[in-house]
Amino acid sequence: MAQLEDQRETIYKVDPAHPETKDLPILRTEELLLNMGPQHPATHGVLKVILDLEGERITKSTVVMGFLHRGVEKLAEYGTYHQFIPHTDRLDYVCAMYNNFAYCRAVEKLMNVTVPERAEYLRTIVAEVQRIIGHLFWLGTQALDIGAMTVFFYTFRDREILLDWFDELCGARLTTSWYRIGGVERDLTASLETKIRDFLAYFPPKIDEYVVFLEKNRIWLARTVGVAVISAEDALGYGLSGPTLRGSGVDYDLRKYESYGAYPKCEFSVPVGKNGDTYDRYWIRIEEMRESIKIIRQCMDQIPKEGPVLADVPSVTLPPKNRVFTNLESMIQQFKLFSQGFDAPPGEIYCGTEAHKGELGFYIVSTGGGKPYRLKIRSPSFIHMGAFDYMAKGYMIADAVTIFGSYDIVMGECDR
Amino acid sequence: MGLKPVTTPDTEAATIVLNIDGETVTAKEGVSLYDVISSMGKIVPAMCYHYTFDPFGSCGMCLVLQEGKKSPVRSCTAKAAEGMVIRTDGEDLFAARKKAVEKHLSVHPLDCPVCDADGHCELQDMAFEHQVTNLANAKQKNIPEDTRSLVLDFNMNRCIACGECINICKDVQRIDALQFMKKGGFTQVVAKGDHALDCEFCGDCLAVCPVGAITNKFSKYVYKPWQLRKTTTTCTYCGDGCQMYVETKDTEVVRVTSPLSWKNKWGDRGDTVNGHGGLCVRGRFGFQFIDSKDRLKEPLVRNETGLVPTPWIEALDVTAGRLKDIKSRYGSEAIAGLITARCTNEELYVFQRFMRTVLGTNNLDSSARYGHMNFVRAAHHALGINRTMNTSADLTKAKAVLVVGANVTETNPVASLRVKAAIGTYRASVIVVDSMQTNLARLASHPVMVKPGSEGTFVKGLVKSALEQDLIDPDATAQAPEALSALKAAAQAVSLDAVAAETGIPVETIQEAARIFAEAPRSVILCGEGIVRQPDGYNHTLSLVDLAWVTGKLNKPGCGINTFTEEGNEQGAVDMGVAPEFLPGPVSYAQAEARQKFSEAWGATLPDAQSGQSLVEILADCRAGKIKALYLVGENPLGTLPKSFGVEEALSHLELLICQDPFLTETAQYAHVVFPACTFAEKDGTVTNQEGMVQFLRPALDPLGESALDWHIMVGLANGMGHSLPYEDTQDIQAEIRKVLPGYYNLGEPRPVVADAGAYLRNGYADSVRARYANGRTQESGRPYGLKLIQLIYHSGKLSTKASGLMDISPNTGALRMSLEECERLGLAEGGRVRVTSDQGSLELGVQADVNVLPGTCAFPEHFNEPPVKDLVRVAVDPVTRVPYFKSARVTIEKI
Amino acid sequence: MDTQKQTTRLLDAVLFREIWKAMKVTFKHMFHRPMTFQYPREKRTIPDAHRGALGLLRYDNGQERCVGCDLCEAACPSRCIKVISEEDKSLPLQRYATEFYIDITKCVFCGYCVEACPVNALAMTKMYEYSTHDKRTLMFDKQRLYEIGEKHLEDAKKYLYAHNQEQDDEESRAYRYHFPQPIGKTGASGS
Repeated sequence: MAQLEDQRETIYKVDPAHPETKDLPILRTEELLLNMGPQHPATHGVLKVILDLEGERITKSTVVMGFLHRGVEKLAEYGTYHQFIPHTDRLDYVCAMYNNFAYCRAVEKLMNVTVPERAEYLRTIVAEVQRIIGHLFWLGTQALDIGAMTVFFYTFRDREILLDWFDELCGARLTTSWYRIGGVERDLTASLETKIRDFLAYFPPKIDEYVVFLEKNRIWLARTVGVAVISAEDALGYGLSGPTLRGSGVDYDLRKYESYGAYPKCEFSVPVGKNGDTYDRYWIRIEEMRESIKIIRQCMDQIPKEGPVLADVPSVTLPPKNRVFTNLESMIQQFKLFSQGFDAPPGEIYCGTEAHKGELGFYIVSTGGGKPYRLKIRSPSFIHMGAFDYMAKGYMIADAVTIFGSYDIVMGECDR
Repeated sequence: MGLKPVTTPDTEAATIVLNIDGETVTAKEGVSLYDVISSMGKIVPAMCYHYTFDPFGSCGMCLVLQEGKKSPVRSCTAKAAEGMVIRTDGEDLFAARKKAVEKHLSVHPLDCPVCDADGHCELQDMAFEHQVTNLANAKQKNIPEDTRSLVLDFNMNRCIACGECINICKDVQRIDALQFMKKGGFTQVVAKGDHALDCEFCGDCLAVCPVGAITNKFSKYVYKPWQLRKTTTTCTYCGDGCQMYVETKDTEVVRVTSPLSWKNKWGDRGDTVNGHGGLCVRGRFGFQFIDSKDRLKEPLVRNETGLVPTPWIEALDVTAGRLKDIKSRYGSEAIAGLITARCTNEELYVFQRFMRTVLGTNNLDSSARYGHMNFVRAAHHALGINRTMNTSADLTKAKAVLVVGANVTETNPVASLRVKAAIGTYRASVIVVDSMQTNLARLASHPVMVKPGSEGTFVKGLVKSALEQDLIDPDATAQAPEALSALKAAAQAVSLDAVAAETGIPVETIQEAARIFAEAPRSVILCGEGIVRQPDGYNHTLSLVDLAWVTGKLNKPGCGINTFTEEGNEQGAVDMGVAPEFLPGPVSYAQAEARQKFSEAWGATLPDAQSGQSLVEILADCRAGKIKALYLVGENPLGTLPKSFGVEEALSHLELLICQDPFLTETAQYAHVVFPACTFAEKDGTVTNQEGMVQFLRPALDPLGESALDWHIMVGLANGMGHSLPYEDTQDIQAEIRKVLPGYYNLGEPRPVVADAGAYLRNGYADSVRARYANGRTQESGRPYGLKLIQLIYHSGKLSTKASGLMDISPNTGALRMSLEECERLGLAEGGRVRVTSDQGSLELGVQADVNVLPGTCAFPEHFNEPPVKDLVRVAVDPVTRVPYFKSARVTIEKI
Repeated sequence: MDTQKQTTRLLDAVLFREIWKAMKVTFKHMFHRPMTFQYPREKRTIPDAHRGALGLLRYDNGQERCVGCDLCEAACPSRCIKVISEEDKSLPLQRYATEFYIDITKCVFCGYCVEACPVNALAMTKMYEYSTHDKRTLMFDKQRLYEIGEKHLEDAKKYLYAHNQEQDDEESRAYRYHFPQPIGKTGASGS
């Protein structure tokens, strides 16, 4: 009670230099602590940020995460390597395919499995389709956050086409679980192939359409150009990756430098920004969509017409179902793999993959046996949120949303 | 190691040097090459190998390359030799092993979806490990499944003919119930003679079967191994204390397994002296009582209408109030308590503390009183120890084993394997003195089949014979020459001819037995229910001490006297002081300083040194109306003791009878209050096996319904009576036991005991020995037959009759077991009914021939009360230890 | 040059030219057919590979395919399947699932159970409308699963074909599980 009284006194303290204000209460000027989220429409899920505000300017921001924590890394320790694939769908739930891809790549590295060539191409095609979906999703929501609602409808229209394509490919639009350790679950059908080719023709003009909406839009420019600038040095220091890093002018793309999948056989360029502001990050994503189209087109042309889509490594990959019905050894393989999993060699591996958000890495510690001893996910969203305080300092409260929006965060991946 | 140990206590094998994968290894000459490789930590796959028996060499997996030989050799059957150069790894060997797996796979059915072994199958593991794919020429067997056995199903389509089942049955169990037979073009495992399997059903064949060829009928098709939660706990059926895994799925017990499995195939054959990891039929198949429908689920309190379910709080309150009332009206002496020795050490400890400090009475006893107490008291009195002297390793490595009145195979099946190993592996001379044709007697080198009830006389004959033949050990007897002369003088009263006449054994046999026992470097005495549960058991045990003493077998390493306990924790009951004459330790209750120590530890005054009644007197006092309240924990005197003992009358005189039991027993039907207790599978605590090893019980299931742990109930009652027992969980009790009995837990190892007969021999031995040997056996009435209440391997006490699996295997036939000759003599070869008459009455019942029963004897399993054969027996009480004897009687039998 | 650029920018700014450009795109779409459709009345075509609710299947002669091998339970990443199997009392030595539960609220629709099933007893269907007021009804039991399987048999079969679980009818007949027969029951009297 006494404390309350004290506070009241400070608030209404009379300034002795101005005796005429004796009867007026003096307004206190101090920092305001604002809780933004977790229930906030623009925080991309359940992110909470505690903002220290000086007027409308952010002086300090503390990110509170974990509202969507589901213990995914712990869950991995309780299932076989194979069983974890559907869990990766729920990391970055708007781009499940890339999570599958990154995880499967990590396990393949651990198990030393070589993926058949056709499967490599399929994986690359689908990964790039997923990248387009991711960027479309980002573009729509980022524009929506800034106030440009129209773009959202256009990007989601095109995203819908690709999601339906996924549905036909693997049976689900978002939670795909299509990748398998050693390949993919299902081959493309003729109809899927036609559809993706149609899309390749349909999509590039659409990108120009989005650009029309945004490129010259003065609100968009005012809200993005020169906002949340981060230098190349700082970006590296904060461990940023993906478009967020490339926006600052660092030419770092795992597709080029680790050259997995069919990427080394495709020609594509990696767009790199100059200023490291929100606008550059937007521009890079637009350009990446164009590059993705190129990659898909090249893959569709190069892909071997025939061939297995799943490696035939009896100790790791599932046997074809028709063999299970008739061959004991395949039946045994099926039972062992599903009930106990494959016997991973003891050791540790890290495998990073260039997801559309940045470097998505899986770090697996195996002590032998069918389950990982420890699995750590290096999710770009989480790492990027670490730079938020630095990047948001000095900007307006209204910019906070666009700043973390420009990392393309998804809380499912961030909190895990 | 697979092969018989080449190094025994008697022979030392030469050391050889060989080279394996570039490493120089030393090994004993004559061992299997496979064992040498596995002792290096290298695992070479093998499907037909198990360390507990001799290598068989049928699977063709354990191939290694020996330098100088072109083709790979089977390492299990190859013996290690000096200078061998061996390679165990390589592409070529992998391919050769893969070929061997393919051979087995090509005739294996596609049974994985329905096979119970799926997920715990060596063939699966091997096929997976060797990456077998696309087998050509697979063909299917179509052999019908052999479901004739009551316990095991034989699906020979899945058999890989590894012979593990046959070998373990032959080499470890020495039963030899299985064989290979060529049938329908395939080599199949069938029961001997292709009949329905009829054996001890230990289930070791099931445990070692690497595929699903032998499956468990009781859990057929209800599980897959990966669904089960495994809890390591200890079996409490008998005093062997076998480690077992209770495997549960949700809230039901699906099966029980043990460390013996094809998965634990690497080991040292010599280690089997400490047990081979298997179980007996009771442990493996007698688990159904745990989740039986008959289990009590809530407390019952008697009102006008009978026993009615009552909430715990009310039941405890009513009981505590009435106990308090009885205590204040009649004094503490009017309260008594009995507890079963299947409880954990912690519960037994809390029980005696509850009785002594809260109720203030020393009228308490446990089921160890039914026999084990004879041995304990004799050992306590004569040797200053309170349990058996030897470990199971001593037993296996003994040169001579004297088994007196112990049907070990039936009462303690797993302990009997140690004797069987002594016979088979170490070639020991085994003298089995029994009035039944026991399984051990058939295997023994010297079976001595005495007349019923004359085991004790035979022991006296042995002592006499040892003295006569001058088999006296000078070192051992030198410490008490006057005792020796007293013994010699006392033995004058015994004449070998009289012993021969009474036991029906020729004098020469007695003398030979004495010679074998005395001359062997390591001799072990095993005595069982035929001594400790028969009249004069205490004195007979002392005679065994005499025998061991004069022949110098008391203090030599590897020698000693041992007994077997019937219930899981009888030794623990003694150690925890659940007897009027003992305090925890056990130390004598009469010792003032011990009472002082415990009264300080418990913060209460203990009852008088002189007070305290044992089982027999408690029931007599109930009858006499002196005891008004009786607290029974898991005990069922009405079902156990003969009618003539008047238990029913005793119970009817009580003002308060509290029964605490998992089941509504005969006695509980008379109770005023019934508390539902837990079974061992729900308990957390320790039990002490007959060797003195303290082992853990771990809860596999949550308590069923509202049933509670025994010590919880006791603490609840104590609280209700205004006392507090400071225990919140088992660890608290264990901490207190650690404090009052330092070193009791001893990390699960038996605490070493040193027998010292010095004090006993010097003080008063001379006086008592004369009386013991003079005391000739009074022949009972002229009834021609000896009736024995025997134990069956398939049962243990009354508890096992609640296990449906065991009842399926061995139902109550309600028939008197007699030898074939007697049956024929009475004209009962095709069955029929007889009237059995004893001094206590007569009874009509059927007859069945039993090869184990000797002529002149008839037997009935003590586990069954229907027909009430137990009521034909009169209860005799030991004058010293107050042990009731009610396992034998003289009867006449007439055909009706 | 510079002045011209400056002028263009000034004009852009004054005339809000970027808005007109963007509006042009928007107005163009007025003449398109709408991309959306009216869901409960119109339904989207579901591809064959779609992973919808699970159903249990029978052989053509009505015999249950499921032998209760519990592999789906082991394969399920969300542990939503519970199989209780037993020896069929009327058919000795035959193993069947006496109870089969799928907690559809926990199911993640990954399709692993179908992939795992060694007799193709499970299949996913195109059924996706099973919302309810009572959560308890979402615990699909054996009966409900067979009902789904029967109602959506065609979809289920298409699913199996689409995901390479089944290739042709001939083959599906060949893999039926054959249980062994017991040895003559007459001698079955043990000890």
